[in-house]
Amino acid sequence: MPQQPALLPPSDHPTREVSRRSILKLASLAGAGAIFAPALAACAGPKSASNASTAGAGAAGGALSIVLNRNLVSLDNKLNQYDAAVTVQRAVREALTKIGDDLKPELVLAESFEQSKPTEWTVKLRSDIHYSDKSPVTVEDVETALKLYFEVKAGYVASQFPEQPTFAKVDDKTFTLTTKNPVVTLDSLMSNILITPAKDNKAEELSTGLGTGPFVIANADTGTGTYKLTRNDNYWGEKAKLQEVNVSYQEEEGARVIAITSGQADVIDTITPESAAALKTNADIDVIETPGTRLIHLFFNFRKPKGHPLANPKVREALSYAIDHDSLIKALMNNQVTSAEGVVPKTLAGFAKTGDYTYDPAKAKSMLADNGASGLKLTFIWEDSEFAGASRVLEAVSQMLAAVGVTATLKMIPKGGEINAWRRGEAGDWDVLANGYGNQTGLALTNLQGQYGGTAEKEKTRDTYHGFVVPEITALLDQAGAEADETKRNDLLKQAQEKIWALWPAMWAWTPNNVLAKRKRVGGLKLRAINSYDLDAVTVSA
Amino acid sequence: MLTYVLKRIGQTVLTAFLATATVFVLLRMAPGDPAANYAPPNPTSAQLEAIRQQFGLDQSIPVQFVTFLQHLLQGDVGTSFFFKRPALEVVMERLPYTITLAVAAIVVTAVVAIPLGVWMARRANTAQELGANIATIAGQSMPDFWIGFVLLIIFAVNFGWFSPAGFNSASSIVLPTVTIAILQVALISRLVRREMVVNLASPYLTVARSRGISERALTWRYAFGNSAIPVVTALGTRFAAMLNGVVIVEVVFKWPGVGELVVNALKQRDFPLIQATVLVTVVLALVVQLLVDLLYPLMDPRVRLGEASA
Amino acid sequence: MTTSTPNLSEVPGSILGRESAVTRLLLRRSAAARRARYSTIKIWVGVVCAGLVVIPVALAQVLPLPDPIVGALSESSLPPFSPGHLFGTDPNGRDLLSRILHGGQTSLVIGVLAIIVSGLVGIAAGAAAGYFGGWVDTIVSRLLEAQMSLPLLLMLLLVVALFGPSIPVITLVIAFAQWPEPARITRALVLVEREKPYVAAARVLGLHRVSIIARHVIPNVLQQVLVVVLLLLAQAVLLESALSFLGAGVQRPYPTWGGIISDGRELFVTGKWWLVTIPGVVIALLVVGVNLVGDGLRDRVRRAKGDQ
Repeated sequence: MPQQPALLPPSDHPTREVSRRSILKLASLAGAGAIFAPALAACAGPKSASNASTAGAGAAGGALSIVLNRNLVSLDNKLNQYDAAVTVQRAVREALTKIGDDLKPELVLAESFEQSKPTEWTVKLRSDIHYSDKSPVTVEDVETALKLYFEVKAGYVASQFPEQPTFAKVDDKTFTLTTKNPVVTLDSLMSNILITPAKDNKAEELSTGLGTGPFVIANADTGTGTYKLTRNDNYWGEKAKLQEVNVSYQEEEGARVIAITSGQADVIDTITPESAAALKTNADIDVIETPGTRLIHLFFNFRKPKGHPLANPKVREALSYAIDHDSLIKALMNNQVTSAEGVVPKTLAGFAKTGDYTYDPAKAKSMLADNGASGLKLTFIWEDSEFAGASRVLEAVSQMLAAVGVTATLKMIPKGGEINAWRRGEAGDWDVLANGYGNQTGLALTNLQGQYGGTAEKEKTRDTYHGFVVPEITALLDQAGAEADETKRNDLLKQAQEKIWALWPAMWAWTPNNVLAKRKRVGGLKLRAINSYDLDAVTVSA
Repeated sequence: MLTYVLKRIGQTVLTAFLATATVFVLLRMAPGDPAANYAPPNPTSAQLEAIRQQFGLDQSIPVQFVTFLQHLLQGDVGTSFFFKRPALEVVMERLPYTITLAVAAIVVTAVVAIPLGVWMARRANTAQELGANIATIAGQSMPDFWIGFVLLIIFAVNFGWFSPAGFNSASSIVLPTVTIAILQVALISRLVRREMVVNLASPYLTVARSRGISERALTWRYAFGNSAIPVVTALGTRFAAMLNGVVIVEVVFKWPGVGELVVNALKQRDFPLIQATVLVTVVLALVVQLLVDLLYPLMDPRVRLGEASA
Repeated sequence: MTTSTPNLSEVPGSILGRESAVTRLLLRRSAAARRARYSTIKIWVGVVCAGLVVIPVALAQVLPLPDPIVGALSESSLPPFSPGHLFGTDPNGRDLLSRILHGGQTSLVIGVLAIIVSGLVGIAAGAAAGYFGGWVDTIVSRLLEAQMSLPLLLMLLLVVALFGPSIPVITLVIAFAQWPEPARITRALVLVEREKPYVAAARVLGLHRVSIIARHVIPNVLQQVLVVVLLLLAQAVLLESALSFLGAGVQRPYPTWGGIISDGRELFVTGKWWLVTIPGVVIALLVVGVNLVGDGLRDRVRRAKGDQ
């Protein structure tokens, strides 16, 4: 404040008056300036684009606005891949295959993808494919992509592979993928390896760059999670019908429902039963449902010592009779889930029906008494928002258990990763975990190996699914994983599933439907069981 | 004056450092595992360990702290776990939104509260004033997220006048601003009223009135002119508080500001991002407070900084 | 000492020995009388608002209410005025009125405990700072300033995450957030008070400094400070609900006001408006009540002090 003394002759009254007032005026002007400057700056920024485009939907092909439930973070899936993100990621970058409508792998960039030997697959790229800048797709691009997915630390996609396949080039369009043990599902697994030019690919998530997909990235703001895609006019296949796709996110369900009812969003996905029920009554909105591939279960803790009631399968079975799932499904889930009929969702390839959950509180009570487990006390844990209405469901479950004389303590673990220590049994003792288990390969084997393929070796580092270690089942699953013949494989899987079911690993399990809401003006949207859809087929009418 | 400013800047740096250090320690003591939030679902211990190494969380807390300080001295607050970008950069992208909202809210508050306070002072001890008084108190008494939510449902969803969430157009700012203003108007208007009642009853005003100066001029030029200093100071303090206090309103309206960012960062245990946010908001609030304090002697020459304070 | 000033409107003119020209009507219209009357109105309106909430909450155990934790899924999400459920039910079929009243007990206990803690700490710190001055004052003042510039809500959320959302933790967290207010006002009042002759007299009598503060200074400023502490109760209830809103509320299945709103929020947009609106109105009613009482009392205390 160097000019300050000049402004303040203490004895000179009029000057002081003027200076003080002028300062106040200056301050108010500065305030007004400050309010408009950032506002204008922000208006000129990328965010205003999304609004303008929604308004200007009449342009050729039209624009679609999607509001996801999570931040996409990037247009790549090396680290994370959740259902709806697949929709957007695949619109820009494609893989050799994709998981089709019936959860079977379909060819995309590959012309053929065949198991030439038990441990070797031969892949031939299509000859007509190219990136959005018309540069060709080479086998080296595939090699680099595969390598980098495994270089990313703790990558999601890489973790789905039993081992890293070895790449070998045969000619300009052909290569082989070799594994030590047979990986019969490699064609499904490769659907998650997105191809991008080798020179631009990195061992990290890419937020920009080229792909072969029907859309190109016009704008990507990872900070606010907003992306703008425009039609790839050089697309090698049938061109996309939309001119533009705007992607943003709202974690909160309520906000997304408001967004679609107000017309700010055209599509919202992965919505809860309550919102779906409310949205169905809206004349401007369609609600689309497909059976899902995510299994949610109330899983028993298998790390209980011998002699503990929960170590007895009879007690676990008895507890399952206490759950009035029909009421839960009706009152809290708006009939948008299916009670499990086996140990994996029935949509998955290789599923075998092993039984139904039944509600019979009298039987529960007497079985508990017979096995000396009357007056059992159970601690339930779950992570906040693990599934739609989790707290409500568990509060209702605790009442149902009270009806058969079992006292349930509910412990909701706040978000932040603490649940992991609980699940490993490091944070405290628990009896039942409410947990969701996703599946993006369409294969029952992926679920079964992840949950029931535990070994004593893995249990040392607490890497089994909550202590479930049954060598006999693990052996069956390993055998199935190496079996090339589909019928034989499914038979092995069926045996494994029956053995698992007989152990009553879960008090109850269910599969929520994939529920998506779209405004009526959106057409051509076909939701798959893995909770994604092809953006290129989507249309909007003015 | 200069020593005073330097001293205050020193205090700012110290407070910012202490706040960041406290947050650093609290974060690392808190239960929860950042690695689990960035690992694939149902992670193995090897995957978790790999992520911890990548984030530098495998080191002991003192070692992490020393590393953090070394980087801080170079102006590096760390890379956001979630965004995989420099945390400071992410915060700075969101900052204009928070500042815009705070400025808009403080301007609206001033525009409403000052005339209201003056009006209440001129009608001091009348039934109208009582009514206005009760109304502002009622406004101040509602939970902010609740007001926000109700406004959202009424004006954005039912009437469709404003976009319901996020920042899509200039009008997006209206509802969050109104929500904050409802809470702040009571405080400011009451202050204005109190100052004005004192000034309106002052002898100098009687003298001025006897010289035939209009009531309007008496109220605004004379009485309000003399009430302005504490009011401006209070507005400045409220503004500084808003810079780190509009979290809830930002969350309700999904306003893409720093508050919304940090609540999500907290859920995901994005340590560098939380630290960066704390650092930025603390520094900002302190700087605004410093500016208000520096403005003070400019407005009121009786106040000399550095002499009285100590 | 605080002498209670007689209410001007009640002073009969006749005690002056003659009929005053100032009639009763004029007295009633005087600014001072009106101020007194309006503060009384405010206090009464406040008492009624707060009482409407506090009394049923206090009697929650006695009133014939359904269990707040046990509900029937067959009575899921009934709207208000359904038979047997005045305020309707939540998706689990639990009576909302019962949940609000029982939840209010938790919220109010947290609020009251929090202001007791923050009041005690604030008064002690503020009195020490004001009376002793010097380094004690410097420390307290710096702490107050430092806390002002902290992103408080964020810090509170962190601490709740750190120690778990139990009633003692939430109470202490709110108390921590609130101690500056009573501390600041106590310090300011004590600064004035310590210059008064009676303090000097006590000092001359050789009383210990701590006992001068505790026995003489604090009782003289207590009335004004307590009004501020009472106003903090309103803030505490709001803060508890804000913490619950951001997901750091008291552990399930115990309902609290903030928790009920937070649970109902996602359902609000699906048409179940009562789960958010009614608890919100209840909180607002209580807070308005407390604020009005506090404000009315503050007007009175200020006037009483001003008249001295």
